[in-house]
Amino acid sequence: MIEFTRASKQRTPNVRIVGLGGAGGRIIELLISEQLEGASFVAMNTDSRILSASSAQEKVQLGASGVGAGGDPDAGYSATNESAAILRESFEGADLVFLCAGLGGGTGSGGAPMVANIARECGATVVSLVTVPFSFEGKRRQEQAQTALSQLSQQAQIVVVYENDRMDSVASAATPANQSFASADSILCQTVRALVTMVRGSGVLRVGLDELETTLRRTDSRCLFGYGESEGDTRAVDALERALRNPLMDRGQMLSEARDIVVHVAGGPDFSLVELGVLMEHVHRHVGENARLHIGVSSDSRLGGKLAVTVISATGTDTEPVRKAKLPPAPVAAPEPRIFESDAEPEPFNEIDEPEPELPLGAAKKGKAQQMQFEPVNRGRFEKSEPTIMDGQDLDVPTFLRKGLRIK
Amino acid sequence: MAKDEIVVGLEIGTSKVCVVVGEIKSDRSIKVIGVGEAASRGVRKGEIVDFDICGKCIREAIVEAEEKSDVLIKNIYLGVTGAHMESFNSRGEHFLPEDRDEIANEDIEAVQEKARDITVSAQNTFLHTVLQHYYVDGQAGVLSPVGMFGRKLEADFHIIHGIASRIKNTIRCVKELDLEIEDIVFNPFAAAQVVLDQQHKNIGALMIDMGGGTTGYMVYLDGAVKYSGVLGLGGDHITNDLSLGLRIPMAKAEKLKIEHGCVTLGNSDPGDVISLRDEHGFAGKEIERETLNTIIHLRVRETLEQLKKRLMEENVMDMLGGGVVLTGGSSMLRGVKHLAEEVLGVPVQLTRPHNVTGNVSAFENPKYSTAIGLVKYAQATFEIENKGVLGSIFDWLISGRK
Repeated sequence: MIEFTRASKQRTPNVRIVGLGGAGGRIIELLISEQLEGASFVAMNTDSRILSASSAQEKVQLGASGVGAGGDPDAGYSATNESAAILRESFEGADLVFLCAGLGGGTGSGGAPMVANIARECGATVVSLVTVPFSFEGKRRQEQAQTALSQLSQQAQIVVVYENDRMDSVASAATPANQSFASADSILCQTVRALVTMVRGSGVLRVGLDELETTLRRTDSRCLFGYGESEGDTRAVDALERALRNPLMDRGQMLSEARDIVVHVAGGPDFSLVELGVLMEHVHRHVGENARLHIGVSSDSRLGGKLAVTVISATGTDTEPVRKAKLPPAPVAAPEPRIFESDAEPEPFNEIDEPEPELPLGAAKKGKAQQMQFEPVNRGRFEKSEPTIMDGQDLDVPTFLRKGLRIK
Repeated sequence: MAKDEIVVGLEIGTSKVCVVVGEIKSDRSIKVIGVGEAASRGVRKGEIVDFDICGKCIREAIVEAEEKSDVLIKNIYLGVTGAHMESFNSRGEHFLPEDRDEIANEDIEAVQEKARDITVSAQNTFLHTVLQHYYVDGQAGVLSPVGMFGRKLEADFHIIHGIASRIKNTIRCVKELDLEIEDIVFNPFAAAQVVLDQQHKNIGALMIDMGGGTTGYMVYLDGAVKYSGVLGLGGDHITNDLSLGLRIPMAKAEKLKIEHGCVTLGNSDPGDVISLRDEHGFAGKEIERETLNTIIHLRVRETLEQLKKRLMEENVMDMLGGGVVLTGGSSMLRGVKHLAEEVLGVPVQLTRPHNVTGNVSAFENPKYSTAIGLVKYAQATFEIENKGVLGSIFDWLISGRK
């Protein structure tokens, strides 16, 4: 019955995941091998040999020649242009297109803006997930990537950028190059998987595309993404910690600057609201005072006793004021109708609001709302030093404050 | 070593900069001939944050040490620490070349290289590669494999590493003062040299160095370093908590902690207050003793619990036959021993540097453990002919600076 009411509101979107070029192809290959459900895969490449090796259901050969773009974006662009008609056909009926590509090369850099444009014209929302090359890959590739990125951000609704350089904690100098690339790919892969589950999942509390868009729509954005899984008694907190430990999270510090944050929790049948409350309380430690949280909860029996937490956000210049005029209800009003979907749901929201007024030393945080570190309480002498964070707590904050003891 | 050697240890701590001038006697004993100490500024959690101010403090301490010992200080052993320091154990395996079956010095170096050939974060650099045990053709318990016959030499090492740029920062600060650095040493490793004796190391012991900005620890099992590390928590945190909680300045909080602080709860009568005096001697704010102790107690307990959590992950708590040895300035807080016993569940003893002669009474204080330990470390390195075994990659750090 609940299924029915939801179906009337919003049908399950038709999701396509496009892997463009060599890097994009690798990512969808990974996703296919993980048996991601609820999306169809399209591989696109200029190189027919690589394309023929792909295990995607649908393959689109860009350009007639069948040889690669050879690292030249112009070749990538003209090849994509040649195949524009086929692309239009393949995007028919898609609601949401994830476009994965590695910028810096030929096919990815040249083709991505074009592909995004066509998909959008076909009526789909385009989410691009692109990587920017490691700095050691050379200046030329960086420049190509930057050009492609600026073109792409005009075409796609959402662009999530992964700077490979920020993956340094997964890829150290001693790691073989192919492993470094693979770990960068796998993080991208996690994001796609999380987004797809989030958008089309049978959620109790759903995160809609509109909310994702508000969250990630920033110019010069730096994407913050974290995914963590855990089981056991403290799984809620553990999973969140793991999510925050992701290299794209900068140990949760950048989260304090983010305006909109999507937190998605997927749990098995035994996932309780109490856990959600605990989890959100911890999330609140890491986010800024004025941050808007978009919360999604879905249940997935395949997770068993595990709990999966996804945190997505972006920092950068806010492009929202323009959007606000156009789409007034989207950001704030969106979560509200869902509260009343079932009786139990208002609870998490209440619990989320609660910790705020309880925070001690409330006066101290006023002056530094903008430069807030990690927690809206006073760190005193350690204000400027690197925080000592263990178990997701900032241990520079006095113990008695964290334990909730009040000093007369 | 034929003649006595003068060695200087420099510890740039969070609360004090300490210079120890020691004389290594030919009978292996160490005589402290002078100590220079200056209140430290510009250091947080064991790492320098303000070069100019910190440089002045170091200069002050050096000058005092020079005056007291009548030694012109040129070369020093530098202690480094910080929460970025990490460690792990690694086994190196080396096969002797076909034409030789007697283990030579070069094989020792090779096996060490192999052990170091392991992935750490690119920005990290190895500080110490400490030998644990050798194995020759799988046979354990070999103390000195050089000259033995075998085909395969293996060795376990404890490798301590940290972020290179941060270590270099400390080096830079010292270099600017025209001091030559003989070697850089991980602070807890230095402190362990003077507070743990061989028997402790053999039966298993944990040394906790509770300093101003950090808490370092070192676990010895079977006579060798097994685990080590640093928590970015120390006495400064206690002072900071007091300052924020009681709304008093840091300097007052520090004084209050030292003069009245105690970690034991329920020890004072209700209404037992300490009155703070302002600079003119007038009675000012009154602070309830129990409140003071509660704040301290919570912080120290938490620090110890964090430490215990780390050690539990390594399963070492049950192997400490020699118990726990507490040292460092913060170990002078009243009641720490009992709290540590309660939290760690292992007998705890407080120690200060021993095996040292000279003007002992003045320096037999746990806060000097690291600085005196640096001198002891220097002595230990002199004794090991093959410097490579205990050596560090200090040369690399220097040459890498340019």
